[in-house]
Amino acid sequence: MGGEGWLFLFAVLMAAVLLFTMVFFIIMFSDLECDYINPIDLCNKLNQFVLPEMIAHAFLTLLFLLSGQWLAFILNAPLVAFNVNKIMSKNHMYDATEIFRTLSGHKKESFIKLGFYLVSFFYYLYRMILALISGTSLRWLISLWSTLTASRE
Amino acid sequence: MSQPAMLPQGWEARWDHQSQQYVYIDQSTGRSQWEVPTQPSYPSNGVSAPSAPPAAPAPAPSSRPGRRQYPTAQIQQMYGGSGGGAGGYDQQSQQLPLMSNYPDQQQQQQPMAPQFFTPGIQDNTPHQGYPQQAGGPQQGYPGQQPQQQPLPPQQGGWQGQPPLQQGGGMDQMANQFQQMNMGQQPPNQAYGNQKQMHSMQTVNLIGMQPDVRGLEAPPPPFLIPQNAAVTQSPHSQPDPSYQRCTITSMPTTQSLLNKSKLPLALVIAPYRSIRPSDGDMEVPVVEDSVIARCRRCRAYINPFVTFIEGGNRWKCCMCGLSNEVPQLFDWDQREGKPADRWSRKELNHAVVEFIAPTEYMVRPPQPPVYAFCIDVSQQAIQSGMVATAARTILESLDTIPNADKRTKVAIIAVSSSLHFFSLTPGATEASMLVVSDLTDVFLPKPSDILVNLDESRAALESLLGRLSDMFADSHVVGTAMGSALTAAHQLIGKYGGKIIALTASLPTIGEGALKARDDPKLLGTNKESTLLNAANSFYKSFAIECSKQQVTVDMFLFSSSYTDVASLSCLPRYTAGQTYLYPGFNASKPEDAIKFATEFGKLLAMPIGLEAVIRVRATRGIRLSAFHGNFFTRSTDLLALPTVSQDQNYVIELQLEDDLKGPFVVIQTAVLHTTCYGERRIRVITHAMPVTDSIAELYASADQVAIMTYLTNKAVEKAMSSSLEDGRNLVTNNLSTMLTVYKNQVTSAAGASAQLAVPDNLKLLPLLACGLVKHVGLREGTNMSPDLRAYAHCLLTTLPSDSLVSYIHPRFYCLHNMPAEAGTIGEHGVILPPALNLTSERLERHGLFLIEDGQQMFLWVGHEAVPRLIQDVFDLPSYAELQGGKYTLPELDNPFSQRVNAIVAKTRELRRGIYRPHLYVVKSDAEPALRSWALSLLVEDRMDKMSSYAQYLTTVKNKVNGS
Ligand SMILES: [Zn+2]
Repeated sequence: MGGEGWLFLFAVLMAAVLLFTMVFFIIMFSDLECDYINPIDLCNKLNQFVLPEMIAHAFLTLLFLLSGQWLAFILNAPLVAFNVNKIMSKNHMYDATEIFRTLSGHKKESFIKLGFYLVSFFYYLYRMILALISGTSLRWLISLWSTLTASRE
Repeated sequence: MSQPAMLPQGWEARWDHQSQQYVYIDQSTGRSQWEVPTQPSYPSNGVSAPSAPPAAPAPAPSSRPGRRQYPTAQIQQMYGGSGGGAGGYDQQSQQLPLMSNYPDQQQQQQPMAPQFFTPGIQDNTPHQGYPQQAGGPQQGYPGQQPQQQPLPPQQGGWQGQPPLQQGGGMDQMANQFQQMNMGQQPPNQAYGNQKQMHSMQTVNLIGMQPDVRGLEAPPPPFLIPQNAAVTQSPHSQPDPSYQRCTITSMPTTQSLLNKSKLPLALVIAPYRSIRPSDGDMEVPVVEDSVIARCRRCRAYINPFVTFIEGGNRWKCCMCGLSNEVPQLFDWDQREGKPADRWSRKELNHAVVEFIAPTEYMVRPPQPPVYAFCIDVSQQAIQSGMVATAARTILESLDTIPNADKRTKVAIIAVSSSLHFFSLTPGATEASMLVVSDLTDVFLPKPSDILVNLDESRAALESLLGRLSDMFADSHVVGTAMGSALTAAHQLIGKYGGKIIALTASLPTIGEGALKARDDPKLLGTNKESTLLNAANSFYKSFAIECSKQQVTVDMFLFSSSYTDVASLSCLPRYTAGQTYLYPGFNASKPEDAIKFATEFGKLLAMPIGLEAVIRVRATRGIRLSAFHGNFFTRSTDLLALPTVSQDQNYVIELQLEDDLKGPFVVIQTAVLHTTCYGERRIRVITHAMPVTDSIAELYASADQVAIMTYLTNKAVEKAMSSSLEDGRNLVTNNLSTMLTVYKNQVTSAAGASAQLAVPDNLKLLPLLACGLVKHVGLREGTNMSPDLRAYAHCLLTTLPSDSLVSYIHPRFYCLHNMPAEAGTIGEHGVILPPALNLTSERLERHGLFLIEDGQQMFLWVGHEAVPRLIQDVFDLPSYAELQGGKYTLPELDNPFSQRVNAIVAKTRELRRGIYRPHLYVVKSDAEPALRSWALSLLVEDRMDKMSSYAQYLTTVKNKVNGS
């Protein structure tokens, strides 16, 4: 079952990246509140990350689906649905004209997503370790390790 | 020292300390006397004008009892029964008015007489000087009063009179407001040192007809401690037209505010126009550029700071920091000698303007720039829009702000391609440059296209003279307005300024192309709100670009069909411009041409402030939480307005982050702008308001007009973001939660009640709310064009409060039977007839009525109008000859025609702003569409599915009882 280990290793990395994206969003929002950035720049900056973040998350979810990780898939599916719904109703982008009116909502959403990614991060980590310590994976990892060290010499 | 409880209208009593007695001041003339006045004194506005005692009303034989619960009889007598005056067109022979008098009503009403109960303010000391039950709901029904209320002897003057047109009730109320106004005058010793409170009266609304004349009453005053202002200036608080607050006293904590359910918001119109005819004062200017500001919170010095350490330092009234007084503060730079600090304008006036030094400039003052994007498609040419617009610009070339000869102008004609005009300085002819590549427009010779108004005057005049003819054979349908706007933005972006777009057709080509998306199936559904938002992102992103470059867009729309006002109005909304709509414009109708030319001319002549920012500061603990109006919110407390136009209203919601400790708080609005003659100025508006920990006091100090302005903005926001129904519900729910809290917390009445208890100062709020939910912008129904709705939203969110009130609650006059002096010139201009309640019960079959909301006027002609009336007003032999629709009244050589014309003219200039309402003649038995439009302004009536005022009150009452 080497695939599972790889999958969750990838998932851990993705979750970390998404986590940092959310931290970035939240920092930017509080910068806006403190008047360190104007709403136009803020929206231009954040809007670059909105779709990549959603696509990355959807891709991860798709991987879980394809590899039959049902629990992980079910955990992630609602967020995918939420994102798709946002894109369909065309309000996924931050709107500089409305940002102050919607700021509290955006912050709340970012915090919830942050929490979600944090929980998923630890879950993926746990699953990865589980996959690693299960015999086959361990052996597989050792062989990987030996090939790596061998190739270095 | 008997207190002057009831003074005739127009008088004010002030306590004179030296002589230990009251001195009476005639407010219209300023004359004072020791004797108690008995005759009312009337200021200008015709509404409260006196009238000769009318002839005894002739009781009509027919009556329809039980139709309405409220005692209309007295009102009827007051308004309608005075056939005595000149120009009465009562058909005495016919005796069949639609409205009937109820001769016995007065007695019948006795048992149902309104109940008074004074809510539990313990320290409601009788300092206000009038009996507790004064000013109750029976105001305006003078016939009842002698039985209801023991009158102080001073009132004998009018007590015995027959129902006077402006009966005693009105006097009382005006008087009451006047007495409350005393709080605004700092040297007001009548209050002594006791804590000032608003007097609280509860009014029951069910079964009572609202007194619409109260709509013009001033808000409750800010009752700050009398020594709060450093000078005793009478101008230390601003006029409510500049700045007012939904509650005129501030709650100490947010939890108290939440508990009270009252909205807390600031309503400001900092750049409102100054009309000397209304007695407006010019804004005093501090010319020596000594600008004292707090080092910490950057607040400007104002009448509410305190001087400490022998006057060497001043303590900020917002954050409490002690600041140094600037060296030149007490120095007259012009005369070169010491000056009196206490005469400095910023310490005496709530509204002042500072001339800002260069630190306040990001770049040198830019010239005023106007770029006109004129639609020259077939539709635009045929409607005559282009010709009228060109002529108006031509005629306005001298009135466009151009004091220092720097104003720049560009003209772009738009059809399917862009036509630029090279107006070389000194040339007498303009040459046209056509650009048909609409993506990434290339600007040929920009310096010849955007030219100095004076240098290229000749070429400009010749171009404007023949602009319409140049495109006379245009067959282009649709315009590339989006591309033209982008090009204009490129052209003037370097300077900032104004783009004025005039379009008669939907922009279907090029950037920001729109489709006719007004699917009638969506109307009346929850999806209708999508039609009220921008169709594509171009209009928002372009608006942001404009705001960045200090460019304002004004939109003039001349639709004969759908023009997507919702999308196009986005540009004015975020760039601090304004949208103007002329549905079905046709310049061959003189009324259309005059209306547009007048409004457009006024807009061009309007002094504009460039590169403006608005910042509101308040005492520590108060936070700004949301903003409404036409601007771009650049940060949590900074509003960016590329140009600030006159008479626009902004609403700012406030919250309390910290508990308020001091006895009063100060709120200061500062508008930094460049005048159109190149001077950087800061207009500062400061007001102080008391802090209270009592819910009762919060309710007693609530300002119904400001609350309505706030609710209007919230409802429109809700209608756009969610649905129209949610917008309407927001209004009704807000109203009922307020009244629920009032009932439970203030009047402490428990359980269900047949009454709807309302504080006296909010007694017209339900009427305004009823008007708002039935307004074009929010009305229920499936036949409202999205364009009209979107346009109504533009007006609802920008009109200053006084115009907004009449836009929501129109004015209604009876002309065939008006008092003798109505329509004549009084001391302060034309006297208007008394305003009637907005119900069709007032309409008489033989009458002539005027309904106006500041945007339209309807002259309602009853189908049994006597030929003499038709002859006198319209110069036509009979009613049958009269044509309904847009109308220009002839000025005839008879007193009645002159008076009607005077009233129409006065109505047109009654309010601030550039609007010139159309006059429609409505025949009571023809043109159903026009007729029902006029009737839809009568908001107290039932209309389709929408409830009448009485039903609306019942709905609110049930909600109040239900929770
Ligand atoms: Zn300060």
